Amino acid sequence: MSDSTPASPTPARSPFDPPGVEWTSVSPRLVRARFVVIGLVLLVPLVAGVVLATLVTPWCWSIVVVVVAVALWSGWLVPRQVRATRYAERDDDLLVRRGIMFRSLVVVPYGRLQYVDVEAGPVATRFGIANVQLHTASPATDAAIPGLGHDDAALLRDRLAARGEARLAGL
Amino acid sequence: MSVPEGTERAPVDGGATRPSDDGLVWRRVHPVTALVRGWTVIAALGFIAVQQSFDDVVSGNVPVGLRYLGPLLIGIAVVAVVAGVYSWLAWRRTAYAVDDDSVHLRTGILFRQQRRARLDRLQAVDVVQPLLARIFGLGELKLEVAGGADSAIKIGLLRMSDTEVLRNELLALAAGVKRSRAGGRAPTDLRQRDHGLAVDGARPSDAAPDAATNVAPDGTSGEPSDLAPDGVRELGAPAGPGGAPAPARAGDVATPGSGHPGTLDADDEPFAAAPEQHVLDVPVGRLVASVVRSGATVAMLVFVVAVVSFVVPSPGRQDIGIAVGLLPGFLGLGGYLFSQFSRGFGFRSAISPDGIRLRHGLLEARAQTIPPGRVQAVRLSQNLLWRDRDWWRVEVNVAGYGPTADGGHSSSLLLPVGTRQDAITSLWLVLPDLGVEDPLGFLDQALVGTGPATGSGAGAGAGTPTDLGSDAGSGIGSDAADPDRSAGPAHGFVTSPRRAGWLDPWSWRRNGFAATGRALVLRSGRFRRVVDVVPHERTQSLGLEQGPWQRRLGLASMVVHSTPGPVSPRAHHLDALVAADLVDAQSVRAHDARAAAGPEAWLSGPPAEPGTEAR
Repeated sequence: MSDSTPASPTPARSPFDPPGVEWTSVSPRLVRARFVVIGLVLLVPLVAGVVLATLVTPWCWSIVVVVVAVALWSGWLVPRQVRATRYAERDDDLLVRRGIMFRSLVVVPYGRLQYVDVEAGPVATRFGIANVQLHTASPATDAAIPGLGHDDAALLRDRLAARGEARLAGL
Repeated sequence: MSVPEGTERAPVDGGATRPSDDGLVWRRVHPVTALVRGWTVIAALGFIAVQQSFDDVVSGNVPVGLRYLGPLLIGIAVVAVVAGVYSWLAWRRTAYAVDDDSVHLRTGILFRQQRRARLDRLQAVDVVQPLLARIFGLGELKLEVAGGADSAIKIGLLRMSDTEVLRNELLALAAGVKRSRAGGRAPTDLRQRDHGLAVDGARPSDAAPDAATNVAPDGTSGEPSDLAPDGVRELGAPAGPGGAPAPARAGDVATPGSGHPGTLDADDEPFAAAPEQHVLDVPVGRLVASVVRSGATVAMLVFVVAVVSFVVPSPGRQDIGIAVGLLPGFLGLGGYLFSQFSRGFGFRSAISPDGIRLRHGLLEARAQTIPPGRVQAVRLSQNLLWRDRDWWRVEVNVAGYGPTADGGHSSSLLLPVGTRQDAITSLWLVLPDLGVEDPLGFLDQALVGTGPATGSGAGAGAGTPTDLGSDAGSGIGSDAADPDRSAGPAHGFVTSPRRAGWLDPWSWRRNGFAATGRALVLRSGRFRRVVDVVPHERTQSLGLEQGPWQRRLGLASMVVHSTPGPVSPRAHHLDALVAADLVDAQSVRAHDARAAAGPEAWLSGPPAEPGTEAR
């Protein structure tokens, strides 16, 4: 390893940006939906930390500090994550890209789609968004588009189903 | 199955053969099934009793099995009766039926289940003989469809001759051979004819016909024949057009080739077994040696040495306790080694127009048929201890052969251990045409090569370009422009750039990929060498992944998503732009290959209709 300069070559284009692809962003409402979920999850340790700190020992304020730190961190991370989540419909396949730290891009040919799930939890329903999950014969295919508007999700599902049927090719 | 009314047929195993209300002819499984299935309950009970007694012996008490011998025997007898009655009821309820496009199976006493599988979705047909069934000469037919875990249809137990007839029937129907009607053409006739066609036009990979003709034995063969040993190359000869021993007259069922006449009712003329050609087998000596030269054996040796060195010098009571405590791990390792031996025992592979035929198993015998085009990916691997013998193991992904209950992939072996030539032959069974000009040189490079350079892999350092990224990038670019072009002159392995050594100091020179005209070949592993081959038309979806370190170094990994199985193809730490271009080019190649791929029913012509929903 004489080449000891781990220089990031700053490529002219990102590998996650294939040329000629028009990306569609997911709904920004996903940010608020995720905030609500994170808030609900963090509420329990927060309350527990405050109660223990006032009743038992002031050391328990550290729990509160950690919770607040996590909250701030997700407040910074989640909007960026949601902005990084995009999808694109090409003629023969669907592209989904996600992630900032751990980036991934999945290319799913329509002909390989086995079924499409549209699901929405209680929080997502309140914000009028749904998660569209694509399934091929491979369980490794991790192609989910979170945060589509209800109508968009239904339309996308129907479009995918129609294209999948037109291009279906066994396994 | 439209059966003329009033046709009396000889019952199969006493089963009902008259068409029921749903127009299906339900057949029953063999009555001994009840006995065999019930027996396992008793055996399990006996095993528990013996195990308890063993624990008592170890702890120095009178074995529980001796203290309560009388009640124990009565209990076992009661359970035996209950299990017997239950099994008998279950047997009465279990029935199967086959019509032109699907298989039906109904089971269950309280919770009744009727399952229907479309034959055009058939992924593999196995005849499994558990040890006990083997004693009775029975077997179970297992039809794999790609429906996730536990989606297989298990028909059994049946007499072995019946399983064979049923298997041939199912494979023939799945292949697109139509069942004969009264006065129509006999299936045997059609089938023999189709075999002639099949050998010429639909070789095992069901790749595009032009690829297939390359391996036809008629002299037009191109380079792929080099892969095949001489015996295999002449495969097509006995079944070639005109040379086939096909019955001359239509409707002539009772020909020698028609399998087992009389085992099924008269209306279902048995379909002839497709002619098969033996390809290779694994000698027991080599199998034993291969099991001995494995990581588990090394672990076992370390284990034994540790126990001996701790316990033997001062055999105190607590030391023996430790030894006994370690026993389960020891037995586990031993069991693993034995299962490796047992599942590879008597391994034989053969090729027929119905696909790859595999036979293996010491206690539980298994005869597998994997129809053409059902293999999703192939992995050739070699661990460190096999290297000096140049032995390889070949495994495949077949949809439906999901992981078994114990997490193993007992059905996914294409070759438990073999020489390099054997491994290449096994690969040839799946993929007769790799789409490269010099398959043997290419495969040598894939199996043992390092670095992007051609020739011997030894001088990898010398041949490594300093700026691999741009070099490889241009190579890929031109490759992407013309997917049909064979991999470049240097056998086209694009490896990780030098900076990937920060993340993978051992294997970065070897990790790489080559896209041929027919398949994507991924090689990896410095110590345990691995080569994954994914035919373009079997690509499910593609992924590009990049972690934080990879991003700093400008690297990315490319993943090919395949069906569940032992093969998980992945190109580690490529230059990020090379990986991105590979994903792009590969999706184009997969798309083109799918468009040119053969039909699901491998003996029928081009697909008449694009098929319907899989699940």
